[in-house]
Amino acid sequence: MAIDTTAPPPKLSPAPRVSKRLRDDRRHALIFLGPSLIGLAVFTLFPTVMALVMSLFDWPVFGNRTFIGLDNYARLLGSPVFRQVVLNTCLFVVLYVPLNLIVSLGLAAWVSPKIKGRSAFRILFFIPVMAPIVANAVVWRFIYQPGGLLDSLSQSVLGSPAPSFLASSATAMLAIVAMSVWQGFGYNFLVFSTAIDQVPQEQLEAAAIDGASGLERFRHVTLPMITPSIFFATTLTLITSFQVFAQPFLLTKGGPGNATATLVLFVYNEGWRFLHMGLAAAAGWVLFVIIMAITAIQFRGQKRWVHYD
Amino acid sequence: MRLLDLRNGVVAIIAAGLLVSGCGASGGTSAASPAEASVPPASAPTAATPEASAPEAVSADLTFQFWIGGDADKAAWETVTAVAMADHPGLKITVQGTPWPDYWSKIGNQLSNAGAPCIVGMQSLRLAAYADQLVPMDELMTKYGVNAADFDKSIFDSMKHDGKLVALPYDFGPLIVYYNRDAFKKASIAEPKPGWTLDDFTKAATKLTSGGKFGFTTASIDQEYLSWVLDLSGAEVLDAAGKLAVSSPAFVDGYKKYVDLMRSGIASPVTVAGYDGYVNMLGEWQSGTAAMYVDGPWMVISNRDAVKFDMGMAPMPAGAGGSKHYTAGSGFGISKQCPTPDAAFQAIVSMTGDKALTGLASVGRAYPARPADAEAWYGAAKIEGARETLDYATSHSVPWLTPPNWVQMADLFDRTGLQALTGELKPEEVLQTVQDQGGL
Repeated sequence: MAIDTTAPPPKLSPAPRVSKRLRDDRRHALIFLGPSLIGLAVFTLFPTVMALVMSLFDWPVFGNRTFIGLDNYARLLGSPVFRQVVLNTCLFVVLYVPLNLIVSLGLAAWVSPKIKGRSAFRILFFIPVMAPIVANAVVWRFIYQPGGLLDSLSQSVLGSPAPSFLASSATAMLAIVAMSVWQGFGYNFLVFSTAIDQVPQEQLEAAAIDGASGLERFRHVTLPMITPSIFFATTLTLITSFQVFAQPFLLTKGGPGNATATLVLFVYNEGWRFLHMGLAAAAGWVLFVIIMAITAIQFRGQKRWVHYD
Repeated sequence: MRLLDLRNGVVAIIAAGLLVSGCGASGGTSAASPAEASVPPASAPTAATPEASAPEAVSADLTFQFWIGGDADKAAWETVTAVAMADHPGLKITVQGTPWPDYWSKIGNQLSNAGAPCIVGMQSLRLAAYADQLVPMDELMTKYGVNAADFDKSIFDSMKHDGKLVALPYDFGPLIVYYNRDAFKKASIAEPKPGWTLDDFTKAATKLTSGGKFGFTTASIDQEYLSWVLDLSGAEVLDAAGKLAVSSPAFVDGYKKYVDLMRSGIASPVTVAGYDGYVNMLGEWQSGTAAMYVDGPWMVISNRDAVKFDMGMAPMPAGAGGSKHYTAGSGFGISKQCPTPDAAFQAIVSMTGDKALTGLASVGRAYPARPADAEAWYGAAKIEGARETLDYATSHSVPWLTPPNWVQMADLFDRTGLQALTGELKPEEVLQTVQDQGGL
């Protein structure tokens, strides 16, 4: 059978139509994404790059700016104050993150069955998250200070005064952690509570029929099924805990001495109070790198323990 | 998504800072352009009082930034700017306020950006850090015939930096002891008088300390410990060469005596450093928990109105070296970015003139920097012994000079000083830390 090579090639008319649709889609996507992209560029990318540039300069608020390379970073790393600030921040993270997760997960597990007043508890536990942190700090100062709630309780129950929690280097950070846990656990509580509610009842019932106790059901059924939520909460809580600022700023101003000075408080003080913008920007970048590194480790490690099925 | 959040979070401060800077830059300054401003000729007549030198043709829109705690504060300052606007009908002055704890961050950002306010509130202790951003006033003083001798010398000199006047003072005062006269009477203790000694103070405070009440209350803030160090050893923050000298033997001696005195049981425990500590201290005295505390005369009227007891005031007790007190105060400077410095200066002259200061004094706002206006203040204060106390303390005063990085130094001193007052650190360790770490 001969092949007619003179036959005209088939028409490709649908192709331009697809291409036009694609172009339209791209245009629409750009229109919808535009505001966000502009916001991201102006309020995130530009400040990030600008901070990196500033960190390479002796950048006083007043006067001439001088390029000094990595001197700000060298100055920070050589400073015993900055080292203590980094250690303080790590101490806060190490204490706060597990406590927050334990309290929020524990309470979420407690209210997960259809207990009486469940909705009221959920609202109650979330109130500290919604309350202004300045108001919370005022209340907690009254709790901690001599003559305050804890001191009065100690005097009436034990017959001796309580320590001055915010004035002692030994207790000031613990006091800040306690207030932070109270202030912050409500968010993770809601995350966990919602996740626990979504665990299929059939699986729990099957485990119960197999003879698993309540604790065993929680450990071997509920916990594995809510690991995505635990990963989400852990990642977010770690990031925000490295950025702790308001609590030490409001309760102790970083004192006594430097006992509660944290990285963001250091950045704030150096930049806005002491007017050393270059040094503040360098400290901000140190914080950025620390958080990036820890978050990357978390993402890499999640494959081993987070179950998405 | 999380990475985005992460990055958002890390740069939040920087972004916020830039936003704040931007806000500062557009903070409402509405100074007229040089072309719009009309300044009087350099040959403006010299006059005995600033009001008399008021030129006719000055015209500008000015912004005045000051530390302002609320509506009442703002209203009081608007009466002051109203005096300037009445003196110079071509001037329009807009008052902007920021609460004290945030003021220095705000003004620092404003002065570093375009569009800083023309008239800037300045405190003598913190002036050095901002002096390079302010217009030197010496030539303007001569040009408009303002007489330096009309101002108290100690506060006038405190408004100089490197020998140049950079702000004109409106108030001042030596630090004094406020006391609860009812508590003194109840304990049958003779009330303090000018010339009373440290021994008198200690005996009174000891006797007043009982039943949950304390003879004295202090705070880990600069005006407290520095006043006592000066009183107890005569040592000052800066040496003769202007260098930080808080680890000098004399300063260490004075600071140790202060800490020992405060930890001897006569003073209530200090629980927090800095401004919050000041608020605690004030609250303890005003509520009657403590019978005495140290503060400036700028607190006289608000204290008188806040307490439910009969209030008294006395100079700081004389230490081993006799009576020697610090003077601190506040005034107004002109931003170097101000396009109409002559107009701003004339406004400031009016704002620190007799009319404005007697107006402020009559509502008990400030102890005027012009001694001639003190009469109105005494009339408003109506406190027995006020004149005697302030005359004595003023005559034994020295300017309170601080290094340019005093905001940073004071913050460090406040936080580590708390450790001395609670016994965590020895006083000499605190001072060595401040000397070593000052400026990082």
